[in-house]
Amino acid sequence: MSALATVRPDDINVALLVHVLGAMVLVGSLLTAAVATIVGWRDEGDTLRRLSYKTLLFAALPAFILMYAGALWTYDKESLDALAEDPRWVEIGFMTADLGGLLLLIALILGGIGLWRSRSGGGRPLLRASGVIAALLVLVYVVTVWAMGGKPN
Amino acid sequence: MDFYDWMLALHLLAAFAVAAALVLFSVLVVAGRRMTTLEQTKALFRMGSLGGPLIGIGMGLVLVVGVVLAIDSDDYQLWDAWVIIALVLWAVSGFVGARTGTYYTGVQELAQKSGSEAEVLARLRAPTGVRWHAATVVGFLLLVLDMIFKPWA
Repeated sequence: MSALATVRPDDINVALLVHVLGAMVLVGSLLTAAVATIVGWRDEGDTLRRLSYKTLLFAALPAFILMYAGALWTYDKESLDALAEDPRWVEIGFMTADLGGLLLLIALILGGIGLWRSRSGGGRPLLRASGVIAALLVLVYVVTVWAMGGKPN
Repeated sequence: MDFYDWMLALHLLAAFAVAAALVLFSVLVVAGRRMTTLEQTKALFRMGSLGGPLIGIGMGLVLVVGVVLAIDSDDYQLWDAWVIIALVLWAVSGFVGARTGTYYTGVQELAQKSGSEAEVLARLRAPTGVRWHAATVVGFLLLVLDMIFKPWA
């Protein structure tokens, strides 16, 4: 993700738009999943825990793919690969995207098992763990958004 | 990072806060239409309490920091077409968003006080709230498009 408020050639903007929209939906869906888990932590019913997992699966995962594809596309369009080494903000972006992708995958697996077990009355700890990972990812991506905007060297 | 970089990072973080709140509300709007009991509905509304402050603070910061950026930058001015378009879209999105909030706050009060289950569920499934929310999201998307493509810059 590059800075929103600098003037760029138009052919980069489409790639950037894909990246930014993916990132926005990703952060929003992770936040939603985290909030659903925290708010519904002690609930007897599984409404919010299920909502948390489904938000991760149907919103966060597609958004992550869109964000990552947009990042690679923007990286290519801006010819950043021609530099001797990546700027720090690009390193932060790819590092948190890769780590975030792995954590999202773990959250989806844990939550999926939890959802399956919830049919027989169990699975709550796994669904909660899935939501906690989503909360952690929100914090990671707040730092990433700051780095993409401020571009620290 | 100089002053401009910090402000740009803050501007981007504020925009992400608004986007995250809109995603949260979108999930609630979609999930709300699938609820079958009053208890489920109340659980959903407990999640919404974070979205209001997030969108309010985010919209305020986006505007204030955006104006600071426009004044600070030598590349563009407050009277540039894309900046004026952004200000208009910000105002329209804010107005439509406030109408959406009023509608769903009404449904929430109905759910928590005297409303019958059938009436609450009917209001959640009615197209009114969905249309207001969709209009808010479209307004925000146009704002993001304007920020990235910067027409007539």
